Amino acid sequence: MAQTIAIPGQLLGPSNKYVAGPGTHIHEANLYSSVLGTVTVAQPEKKSVPGPAKRLNKIAGLPSAPAQQLPTISVSRTGISEKREVLPEVGNIVLCRVTRIQPRQATVAILVVGETVLEAEWQGVIRPQDVRATEKDKVKIYESFRPGDIVRAQVISLGDQASYYLATASNELGVIMATSEAGNNMYPVSWKEYRDPETGINENRKVAKPF
Amino acid sequence: MADRRRINGPVGATTPPIFDKPAAPVPAKTRDAIRKIFLKTGITPSASGSAYLELENPNPKKLGNTSLKLSCTVHGPRALPRSAPFSPHIILTTHVKYAPFATRQRRGYLRDSSERDLGVHLETALRGAIIADRWPKSGVDIIVTVVEGDQDRDSPESQKDDEGWDMMNVLSGCITVASAAIADAGIDCVDTVAGGVAALVCKDDKTAPTIVMDPIVAEHGSILAACCVAYLPTRDEITNMWFKGRLPGSDMMVYDKLMEKSLVACRCANRVIVQELNETVRKSQEIS
Repeated sequence: MAQTIAIPGQLLGPSNKYVAGPGTHIHEANLYSSVLGTVTVAQPEKKSVPGPAKRLNKIAGLPSAPAQQLPTISVSRTGISEKREVLPEVGNIVLCRVTRIQPRQATVAILVVGETVLEAEWQGVIRPQDVRATEKDKVKIYESFRPGDIVRAQVISLGDQASYYLATASNELGVIMATSEAGNNMYPVSWKEYRDPETGINENRKVAKPF
Repeated sequence: MADRRRINGPVGATTPPIFDKPAAPVPAKTRDAIRKIFLKTGITPSASGSAYLELENPNPKKLGNTSLKLSCTVHGPRALPRSAPFSPHIILTTHVKYAPFATRQRRGYLRDSSERDLGVHLETALRGAIIADRWPKSGVDIIVTVVEGDQDRDSPESQKDDEGWDMMNVLSGCITVASAAIADAGIDCVDTVAGGVAALVCKDDKTAPTIVMDPIVAEHGSILAACCVAYLPTRDEITNMWFKGRLPGSDMMVYDKLMEKSLVACRCANRVIVQELNETVRKSQEIS
């Protein structure tokens, strides 16, 4: 099915009828496309009745704007080129490989953002206070990560000029693949230990909860 | 600085001596349009985005008469080097490089001042079109290679002193081709920027000067002034303007007219970009 093609600068509609999605921008109360791609209009989801409100125990993002009744218009590049670059954004879940550990931080290379495999490698940093949510002062980086581990983490900040700041302070986040000192793939045995199936030696990691 | 590491070809034109009168210059055709443009995106697989632009050769039968051929590659958005300071928006780097064989005068492998000049103009033209804050902490390199530099290489005798008018045409081509390559790379833009040139030319001293779009330098007797503009058609905004030459003092409106003609040339070039980008998407839809 041929979808509507949008080129940069093409008028998509008035901004009081649509919400700007990815690949668009607003200029003088009108929505314009900002990339080359195909137009998709997503109807707003039916709002489910919210359950009993939970007590807030962590800082949540700003509540989304009330104008969710409008359909979202976006321009996607899927199918045009596989090479669409994405940047890690605050809140994204990323997969990364540990490249270097130091007492004050673990340096990682971000490989995947969300579902997208990146073309370029972006550097990230996990600081000891972001490794887990409890007993932050007792965290030791070398008991949490080792070079070569694959880590699932969340982007918490754009960071400094060199690296994004990442956190693994959640049950689902942490090391998902690890290799032992003997060079074997290990399996998780607890929230802080991986075991080598051949030598039977346990190694410390910040383990991600398997799904 | 002389480049001593490579064996460079001879400097200057190398036409064999012909003891004959040079062929009469072809009279300039009165065109009320720009030359035909061939534009294609996605020609360099290794780059994030790329485009190739070629201008129609007005006299294809005449030997040595060349037109404009440009190739543009876009690399990025990619991580900035470690030494670079934090940047909340994308860092744009533009390079314009003539191939050594692109012009009458052989070019060195190192960039000279005119190439750097073109790069600065191109950067200004593109900066107004790119939405820079969509890509924090990243850089993009835009490299335009001039394969043929829009110069008449026919006979050295018929050559007037090189005043660099052809650089205007090269710049407008660079803007158009870079715009297509950026769209191909998927970098956010407010519009497709296009370049256009208009010039004030006169045949000889007796006739009154006229304004032409997309001037072919070799065909006109002399060029008094020229104007190259980078223009966003849907926004009706100009991102870069380069004016060169002297205007006759008699007509106050000639400057405005020159600008207007350049804008018409920009709109023509933009139509080519729009068509090619539509074609690109349609082709990929057919495959998938």
